Amino acid sequence: MPNPSEKTKNGDKDTELVRAINSGRQDLFYELVHRYEKSLYNFGLRMCDTPSDAEDMVQDTFLNVFKYLEGFRYETKFRNWLYRVATSACLKKKRRSKYAPDRELSLEEFLPADESAVSADLPRWASQPLDQVLDGELAGVIRQALLDLPEKYRLVVVLRDVEGFTTQETAEILDLTPTNIKVRLHRARLFLRKALKSYHETD
Amino acid sequence: MKQTDPHHPHENCLALFERLSEYIDRELDAPTCKEIETHIEACKPCQVCLKTLKQTVALCKHLERRQVPEAFSLKLKGAIFDLVNEKTD
Ligand SMILES: [Zn+2]
Repeated sequence: MPNPSEKTKNGDKDTELVRAINSGRQDLFYELVHRYEKSLYNFGLRMCDTPSDAEDMVQDTFLNVFKYLEGFRYETKFRNWLYRVATSACLKKKRRSKYAPDRELSLEEFLPADESAVSADLPRWASQPLDQVLDGELAGVIRQALLDLPEKYRLVVVLRDVEGFTTQETAEILDLTPTNIKVRLHRARLFLRKALKSYHETD
Repeated sequence: MKQTDPHHPHENCLALFERLSEYIDRELDAPTCKEIETHIEACKPCQVCLKTLKQTVALCKHLERRQVPEAFSLKLKGAIFDLVNEKTD
């Protein structure tokens, strides 16, 4: 948990900028776009089926931010609020996904079927250093696996593990309880791990 | 996937399996962590389970971030330009 003073320090740069924009310096809105367009675009690539959907999502997000910025309450970090706006833009954008039908993931489907299915050896993809595995096809496998995840799980794992929000922040962004976030996150991670595992088994 | 009788792994392994993400994220209290560590030390399958899950999380954290396409960036700024002018007019 970050202490409160750290929190204000991190948020300071954005807060100052938002205050300036809200006090009439609308030209500074471009600076806000500059700060976050790359993060949001990459968030869009993880959440949407196509890069062009990701672009639409980013544009909708910034237009909504522009529209509602005056209502921004300074007690939240701007970045958290921004991702809340982005998340609702995502949900509006993609009612249906080509890849991922809505369904519940259960813990049971990730349990090993029997003891012999539990490997006692660490697979190569898990024992190699990160930069080596990310150079290969593995990055592609995990990107596709993310798109294959039902949306409610994908949102959680993308916010937590890709974007680096805490459990508490993710709960606030998605209007869910921290417990709910933890449950979904664990299942999402198990889903991704299964995809990585089966990719290597069929190799 | 092999279709075998669902022979459930050891009870302790199951309990651990459920909490593995919280363990990785350091969201468990000290006694629970200790309990998990003691089990993992002695259980090879759970070691593999933990390491593969940790690597999965690490892969997500380090996915390469792409640059915003320049054409889109320009289009976006154009759309905002229109809004700013609308508001100041
Ligand atoms: Zn075990």
